Amino acid sequence: MGSLTALLEGFATAAQPEYLLYALLGVTLGTAVGVLPGIGPAMTVALLLPLTYTLDPTAALIIFAGIYYGGMYGGSTTSILLNTPGESASIVTALEGNRMARAGRGAAALATAAIGSFVAGTIATVLLTLLAPTIADIAVTLGPADYVALMVVAFTTVAALLGSSPLRGLASLGLGLFIGLVGTDTLTGQQRFTLGVPTLADGIDVVVVAVGMFAVGEALYVASRLRHGPIEVIPVGGKWMNREFWARSWKPWLRGTFIGFPIGTVPAGGADVSTFLSYAAEKKLSKRPEEFGKGAIEGVAGPEAANNAAAAGVLVPLLTLGLPTTATAAVIVAAFQSYGIQPGPLLFTNNSAMVWALIASLYIGNVMLLVLNLPLVKIWVKVLQIPRPYLYAGILLFAALGTYAVNFVVDDLIVLMVIGVAGFFMRRHGYPVAPLVVGMILGPMAEEQLRRTLQISEGSLAALVTSPFAAIAYSVLVVLLVVATVMRLRRKKSEVPV
Amino acid sequence: MIPEKSSAKVEEYAFGGLVAVVGAFTLIDATTIAARADNAVGPRAFPYAVGALLIVTGVAAIVATARGRLGQAEEGEDVDTGVRTDWVTVAKLVAVLVAHLVLIDVVGWPVAATVLFFGAAWTLGAVWWRALPIAVVLALVVQVVFAYGLGLSLPAGIFEGVPFLDG
Repeated sequence: MGSLTALLEGFATAAQPEYLLYALLGVTLGTAVGVLPGIGPAMTVALLLPLTYTLDPTAALIIFAGIYYGGMYGGSTTSILLNTPGESASIVTALEGNRMARAGRGAAALATAAIGSFVAGTIATVLLTLLAPTIADIAVTLGPADYVALMVVAFTTVAALLGSSPLRGLASLGLGLFIGLVGTDTLTGQQRFTLGVPTLADGIDVVVVAVGMFAVGEALYVASRLRHGPIEVIPVGGKWMNREFWARSWKPWLRGTFIGFPIGTVPAGGADVSTFLSYAAEKKLSKRPEEFGKGAIEGVAGPEAANNAAAAGVLVPLLTLGLPTTATAAVIVAAFQSYGIQPGPLLFTNNSAMVWALIASLYIGNVMLLVLNLPLVKIWVKVLQIPRPYLYAGILLFAALGTYAVNFVVDDLIVLMVIGVAGFFMRRHGYPVAPLVVGMILGPMAEEQLRRTLQISEGSLAALVTSPFAAIAYSVLVVLLVVATVMRLRRKKSEVPV
Repeated sequence: MIPEKSSAKVEEYAFGGLVAVVGAFTLIDATTIAARADNAVGPRAFPYAVGALLIVTGVAAIVATARGRLGQAEEGEDVDTGVRTDWVTVAKLVAVLVAHLVLIDVVGWPVAATVLFFGAAWTLGAVWWRALPIAVVLALVVQVVFAYGLGLSLPAGIFEGVPFLDG
């Protein structure tokens, strides 16, 4: 019952007008960046980092959590109403939702996405509330070797399991780990890879890397192949408040939630996998499978719910273990660190008030997002139509501003440009950028735990695998890799025309 | 798409090579990090592992390219995968960014920001007489918001001493 009292106290904090305002700011910004192509929650959180140093950590984290949840809602509006494929997590929605919109049933598609996101987000937050304190209790007993194991699992899944090319994912991870190495070694105080440049002695700031990769890299990449001509937004048509809507939506919402949440919690595939699984499940269970591909509402309801539930699931390892499994989560870890807070098992004991206020704000944020995305969806349709030259010029301006605001030195802008150009080429050649950001943030933590383990064991490498927890983690990883390889081979086989 | 294939291959070799070179640099530079002999694991071990990972993946990317397995360019709402790469636009945007970072210390942030926004919007196809006023207003508003709203003063440059703009 302890956590229920704590949660209620969290609500008391989060319901203060000031914090409500921050939550509203967060979810509004989040929806906006979710709707707009070219920017996402990871970059937005990174950009706001230097500007929120003056706020108290609870307020800043409430804003960031709002952006994180909001981005998930906004993305579906874009993929349903825009005529072009969107961000990876919502491609399945684009498939069915886009067809529905073109058939004049846009209102129903948007409504099932928004309400499904709300249902899934709320149930998943309840599960988070129930699970997180228990997992944190177990996590307190974990030693450094166990953390090394968890981080190896996170690195491997983010880099090798998520993208289309495991090789390129690992290369991207390696580059991120390298960037994480630059600077002063925390244990011995020695400079590494700084080339004697004073700016690099403190390391490369997370803000510069995240903004460079996501904002500058993306803007350059889009500019190189900009889709010209008018932005075609499908007009929202049809009615949705009827019995058929509810009857066909509620089961996919629930199924999506229970598919998405576990996948988000166990770092085993993130939002993409959960949406695809949910889509496949709905197609199989549907009484009208022939409608799939032509605008089946179940094909929007399920994957959208799964997407949001997975996003909430990601918060479980983030808050209880300090383990980010997506780029946005990694930037949020960096945000915690910038306030001198280390997310992990001790968070629930040392910063209990803050973390429960954060969780309470997730419930509140979900309600706000439902209002923002259901009755107010027309506003976002307008946002979607911002002329692209101004949109990308604005992204570049705020990227440069956010980077400059970190230290007020021009040198950071040079680093920003180099990383931006690298991000541009990575996009051209199918190197995913998320592993780089995760590697950069998690790398130094992994090194510290690794060295601690080997210090305790006096250099014996066996210590890395002898702890039962670590042994289990590595075994699970091996199983995951085998399953993924088999699935990849199968998919390849089925792609070959007979 | 097709006429770009051979140049895409060259680029792909170059990027794989770059990854391997960063890896080699990591390995070589790691040897210069001073480490005490009594330390079980010093500041060198992890860099060695990272360097090795980069070399292996870089070389593997080159091998994959030679076998004809090219990376898949990322898709996006605003990306037209069917058109040829517009290198001129990319070069112009990089030039605008360089101009911005050079100008900050010379004429101050508001002017540098105006140049960045206007330059980028114009490059991407905006009408200049509409982009210019937007750029000026945006830069000045951000300058004022930073100075008075957030208490962070961006260098005012030529506006030094001007009320509201010099925080």
